[in-house]
Amino acid sequence: MPTLSDYLVLSAILFSIGLAGALTRRNTIIILVGLEMMLNAANINLVAFWHFLPPSPTGQMFALFAIAIAGAEAATGLALVIAVYRHYRSVNAEDISNLKG
Amino acid sequence: MNSSNILHVLNLLTPEIVLCGLAFGVLLLDIIFFRSDSVEHRHEQLGCSVIIGLVMVFFIYALQYMDWQNTFVVGHGAFVASRLNTLFKMAVVGLALITVVIGFKTPYSTHVGEYYGLMLFSVLGMVFLISSEDLLMIFIALELISLTLYVLTAFQKGARRSVEGGLKYFIFGGFSAAFLLFGLSYIYGATGHTSLREIAGALQGDQLAKVPMKMLGIGILFTLVGLGFKIAAAPFHLWAPDAYEGAPTPVAAMIATGSKIASFVALTKLLLIGLPAAAGSALSWPTRWHSGWAGTVAIIAVLSMTIGNFAAIMQTNVKRLLAYSSVAHAGYILVAIVAIQASGVPAPSAAPAIYFYIIIYALTNIGAFGVVNAIGSKAGGDDFEHFTGMARRSPYLSLLMLIFMLSLAGIPPLAGFFGKFYLFAAAVQADPKNLGLLWLVAYAIAMSAVSLYYYLKLTKQMYVLPAKDPRRVTSNPAMNTSLGLIGLMVLLMGVFPNKVVERFENLNANPYPIWEAAVPPPPQPEIPVPAPAEKPAVPAPAAPAPKS
Amino acid sequence: MENSLFYFFSVAMLSCALLTITCKNPVSSVIFLVLAFFSMAGLFVLLNAFFLAAVQVLVYAGAIMVLFLFVIMLLNLPAEEKRHRGWFGGAASIFVMVALMLELSFVAHHEKLASSPASPGIDGTTEDVGMVLFSRYMLPFEVASLLLLAAMIGVIILSRKEKK
Repeated sequence: MPTLSDYLVLSAILFSIGLAGALTRRNTIIILVGLEMMLNAANINLVAFWHFLPPSPTGQMFALFAIAIAGAEAATGLALVIAVYRHYRSVNAEDISNLKG
Repeated sequence: MNSSNILHVLNLLTPEIVLCGLAFGVLLLDIIFFRSDSVEHRHEQLGCSVIIGLVMVFFIYALQYMDWQNTFVVGHGAFVASRLNTLFKMAVVGLALITVVIGFKTPYSTHVGEYYGLMLFSVLGMVFLISSEDLLMIFIALELISLTLYVLTAFQKGARRSVEGGLKYFIFGGFSAAFLLFGLSYIYGATGHTSLREIAGALQGDQLAKVPMKMLGIGILFTLVGLGFKIAAAPFHLWAPDAYEGAPTPVAAMIATGSKIASFVALTKLLLIGLPAAAGSALSWPTRWHSGWAGTVAIIAVLSMTIGNFAAIMQTNVKRLLAYSSVAHAGYILVAIVAIQASGVPAPSAAPAIYFYIIIYALTNIGAFGVVNAIGSKAGGDDFEHFTGMARRSPYLSLLMLIFMLSLAGIPPLAGFFGKFYLFAAAVQADPKNLGLLWLVAYAIAMSAVSLYYYLKLTKQMYVLPAKDPRRVTSNPAMNTSLGLIGLMVLLMGVFPNKVVERFENLNANPYPIWEAAVPPPPQPEIPVPAPAEKPAVPAPAAPAPKS
Repeated sequence: MENSLFYFFSVAMLSCALLTITCKNPVSSVIFLVLAFFSMAGLFVLLNAFFLAAVQVLVYAGAIMVLFLFVIMLLNLPAEEKRHRGWFGGAASIFVMVALMLELSFVAHHEKLASSPASPGIDGTTEDVGMVLFSRYMLPFEVASLLLLAAMIGVIILSRKEKK
């Protein structure tokens, strides 16, 4: 039987992979993908805690809301990418740097 | 929940419901009636409706504020209605009102209804964030604020810097949301609760031995990273200058004031109500330093003050300067959070200094953004060169900018001085015998001295250097009046600061009792009011306005 | 049985996640992301969160993947060309990732945590979720609906082409 620790380790690894992806890739769409992965890692935590802790609906509800919000965030991010693409004809993070300081 | 309880909850939520109705109303009005009008016309009509609506909401809050004596809790802390929260909500709604006024007749987009609608949604997020004492609700409300502000930042779609600022804000905000959610999930996992008061209960006494402390520690750390992004504390501030510069000025004002107030209230509540047991200590490095969030917050505070102030010196754009200055101010406020924790006074009763400071910071900053918007939209930009010799071109706006800059720098007798005075006094008082936080206060004061340099640099640009373009800069009367009122308030709060602080102290005297609103309110119980003389959280002001 | 399923889904999820961030072609990246999230839904089933598993599949496979693919096709993105950032930046990122992974795993593994559910009978069926969602979580639910509406308005505004 997998234990709570197993699920937490799994989510920790997924979070790190997402973070690495978001930090190393240049394509803003893939950065977004990395962010989604990080949010989903947190969802594994929430559901695992819900399953293993004394009964209360909290963890599952938290995960449900997190999925909804992650979806809204992905949509907003993609819309911003489209808006930026119209100006820069690129989605690479390095090309999008007019502002500096 | 039976029907009378639902009515009770709806009664508590009246202003939020009105605000929500206002947001829908503006969207519908624009679609149904004004689609064919010119942009200026729509801007005028919708702007006026929003202003009227916000004034209405403000007065409903004022009524609630005068009416209530108790704290009501809905849904395990998802919505907490108290006088203190109501005061902050009034502040946020007031700031939104000013934002709408300073953005009046400066259309950034043809989507007027959506502009106001999103702005109102963001205000709704702030209002819910202020009243939530539950991790889930804090997360949802923060995301509501953030998502609307990302879109509003990029709202001037024709301008490169606006969309670029929006995308950068979004990417950093996305990291922050991910860290925040992960951290919150660990806090929930370690304590088994999401309601802040239940979390505090789970960390008390013998319960503490059952809590996995390392996991809680990581949870708090990740949450601090997430919230650090939202309040733009260093080293999580990188988005702030770009977002401020790129965003339309009223939106930048909103990011810098309303959203910041709400995020700070959430952070303060999370740390002081939910997690006081995990604070550790930041006193006197390194002998009495214990691991816990207090030390981490102290380090973030030092970094914010350093990076914010020194980076601000090098800026040549007024909005970027204000961005870095707000990073520094976040540092000062974090000093106060550490101080309140160190003072050992139970949660909210030691916080007037911090609340006073947040309000003054927001007021001064929105005034400064108002002036930047008024001048920037006429002078063609918001770099330093556009402000050269402004004292001759627009004496009124320049005088106001002078007041705001000096207040931000903390020059007496302006409000900013007393904000800092109370804050640092509270920090020194936290450990009066050993002055354990003196290192932090001394550093903050030194950094305030540094900040004087760049605020005066902008003032010099406006007052000393000659204008290249002799034409006068004027702004519309509504803007002049509201900016004048803000300037007056900054002056008055500097002359009578104790009036405001006393108000916060009174509020804190009886934040209890608390009951679930799902249960019909019991008859007014006796409230043991702690004698205010026992442990004054904030010293009496050094006679700024001697009462004879 | 449960053990082997757990290992199957975990390995599938992690390898798909790794492929997601290493693929040069954005389309295959996104496809691997969806496979990773499918495996995650499998894990949710193992945790008795049936409704969430269904939502995970519907939202990510049904909505988010289509959205990502749509945008990638719309912008007609080429595969990412070879990166020019020096080895230092990459090495630093990998270092951060490995350090974080080890730290978190260490904490998760060494804390005194429950090894079996406190109450084995509890399920996350649609009925259970619905009952709680519309009573205790009514207010967050309403605020989340505002959030979705605001996001929808924002997305339409940002992504539509302006008439000149």
